[in-house]
Amino acid sequence: MKEARVTHPSHSFLRKRLLVCVGTGGVGKTTVAAALGVAAALQRRRTAVITFDPARRLKDALGLTRLTTEPHPVPLGSSSPGMESLDAMALDTKRVFDAVVRRFAPTPAVAEQILANRLYQQLSNELGGSAEYMAMEKLHELLHHAHYQLVVVDTPPSSHARELLAAPTRLGELLASRAVNFLKSPASLLSGSGGVARLTLAAVLKVLERWTGLSLLQDLAGFVEGFESMIAGFQTRADEVAKLLRAPSTGFVLVTTPEPDAVATVIELHRELRESGFRVSGVVANRVVAFPHRRNVDAEAALWPARLQRKLLANYADLETLSRRDRRTLSALHDATGLPLLAAVPMLREPPQSLAALQRFASYLE
Amino acid sequence: MPASQLFFVIGKGGVGKTTVAAAIARGAAERGRRALLVETAADGRLAQLFGTRDLGVEPRRLAARIAAVRVEPRQLVEAYFTRLLRVPMLVRRLLASTSFNALTTAAPGVTEFLLLERVLDWVAPAGLLARQTYDLVIVDGPATGHALTLLRTPRNLASMVPGGPIGSTARRLLALFGDATRTRAVLVTIPEDLAVNETLEAHAALVDDLAMRVERTILNRVFPRRFSRIDIAALAGADGEPGPLLAAAQFQIAARRGAERHLGRLRRSLGTTPLVLPNIFTEGLTTTQLDSAARRVCTALLA
Repeated sequence: MKEARVTHPSHSFLRKRLLVCVGTGGVGKTTVAAALGVAAALQRRRTAVITFDPARRLKDALGLTRLTTEPHPVPLGSSSPGMESLDAMALDTKRVFDAVVRRFAPTPAVAEQILANRLYQQLSNELGGSAEYMAMEKLHELLHHAHYQLVVVDTPPSSHARELLAAPTRLGELLASRAVNFLKSPASLLSGSGGVARLTLAAVLKVLERWTGLSLLQDLAGFVEGFESMIAGFQTRADEVAKLLRAPSTGFVLVTTPEPDAVATVIELHRELRESGFRVSGVVANRVVAFPHRRNVDAEAALWPARLQRKLLANYADLETLSRRDRRTLSALHDATGLPLLAAVPMLREPPQSLAALQRFASYLE
Repeated sequence: MPASQLFFVIGKGGVGKTTVAAAIARGAAERGRRALLVETAADGRLAQLFGTRDLGVEPRRLAARIAAVRVEPRQLVEAYFTRLLRVPMLVRRLLASTSFNALTTAAPGVTEFLLLERVLDWVAPAGLLARQTYDLVIVDGPATGHALTLLRTPRNLASMVPGGPIGSTARRLLALFGDATRTRAVLVTIPEDLAVNETLEAHAALVDDLAMRVERTILNRVFPRRFSRIDIAALAGADGEPGPLLAAAQFQIAARRGAERHLGRLRRSLGTTPLVLPNIFTEGLTTTQLDSAARRVCTALLA
């Protein structure tokens, strides 16, 4: 493989305050997020990387040996001269959500009441992209209180940005009076429809109760009681996070591989992001096969015995086809979105397992 | 007439589940059996693979003896509550409500159950006049984590909701899943760490926890063995900066080696040799390639 160059690019997307990596699962999003952090740190910016569920080896490379609720300095060692500090953390969304509840609840007793509530336990995993919302919560805190110049956020593998983007507002909405009123008085959902509606709604709720085995109405009442006291704090925070996501200093990075499925997802993601008024900096393509068409391989082929020559040439033709396919896919992606290709990282023999390997990966991000 | 079969094709996103599901359908059709492909992903490529327009929410013919249908959670919930409430306007109001949507999202098992209820209807239609329309129902996906949740649903519901129509359907599903002559899981994976790890975990969950029959794992996207050991030794002797041909050869050798490593790991952990499907070196999947895959897959899976 080609020897990687370690350059110091100064591209605009690395000068943002917040970079959010989005894309479907399995494209190397977490690795790209970590590498973006490394690239920024090499540009002497104080950077933090927030990841979700990183693979074990990446965790090792970043020194994330245990789950923390705060970013941890990445052990740089002597192999990384000139790198400004880089902090990293792996986010455990449940713990972050619990921490948020504790912060916003008026008293510890109310906090415990909420945390113990069975409906909360279900909802905190399912509710409106709470994992994404919690990531936003965390980075808001980091940007405002921990003096990082750049925070790079990896997002949980989900194929819809809608969850992420709607998360702050949806959570705020749900906790806002309209939804809370429903929870306090379910019939209000179909207000104006008369007695029949109220009866059928009762039937609906009974069905839902049977599904969940929860005494829904009871649980809802308890849940609401606790949450109501936290609404104001939540709403303000949700508004701030929503504003932060749309700020000029925030850039979304779409990560994909040249697989048709991943690219289709990214095109859809881009549309959703753009429609919601978010700034997309560009695309990082990972695991690209890059063997361009060569006309003069015969000289090289002649160095080998005839038997090998045939195999070498046939193999090259195969990989050329893969390369063409990848190029065509990325070109179609550009046509569909108009987005610049920030980087085309080649398929590597193995995912980065050390900081040095991450640095090599980062060298492609320009 | 033999009772209809149910296949669940399970794997990480992007490993080739749809290709394998389609291959099973083609193989079945070739053997004179009628297959129904059930697409669970919102952005699935089944229609594309067969060169037709989008799939609908009712089964539609794709080819001789092959039909396909798309299941969509929202549409399932809508259909269910329409049956329940019987007043379309009320259903619309309900579905438009943020709170209701949050509740149904939070209530575990709703959409999973509705999906399985539909599948059950295609596999084992109940009622005196019910006709078995399909010999094979093949569920494409969802991705592993969701697939396991889906497959756990009947057991969870049967214990939580023992009575009424929900309970009885849950028990029918449980019986069907546990019947090794009728229901099977097919795991599809690729030679990558994350995919293989996930496959091994899923295998354990299916066998030990769910007691379901699991077929041979399918390892997709395997690079062929192009260079022999002698070739590799000869190529390793080159000096200096590799030219493009050599670099390409090194790439292929490394990819093949990686695939063999994963193959070995799967073989050792599962006690069976995975079925290997080759990496495709053409612009798209051709009909010939699909048929070739179908032959390999179905010789192993279908009698």
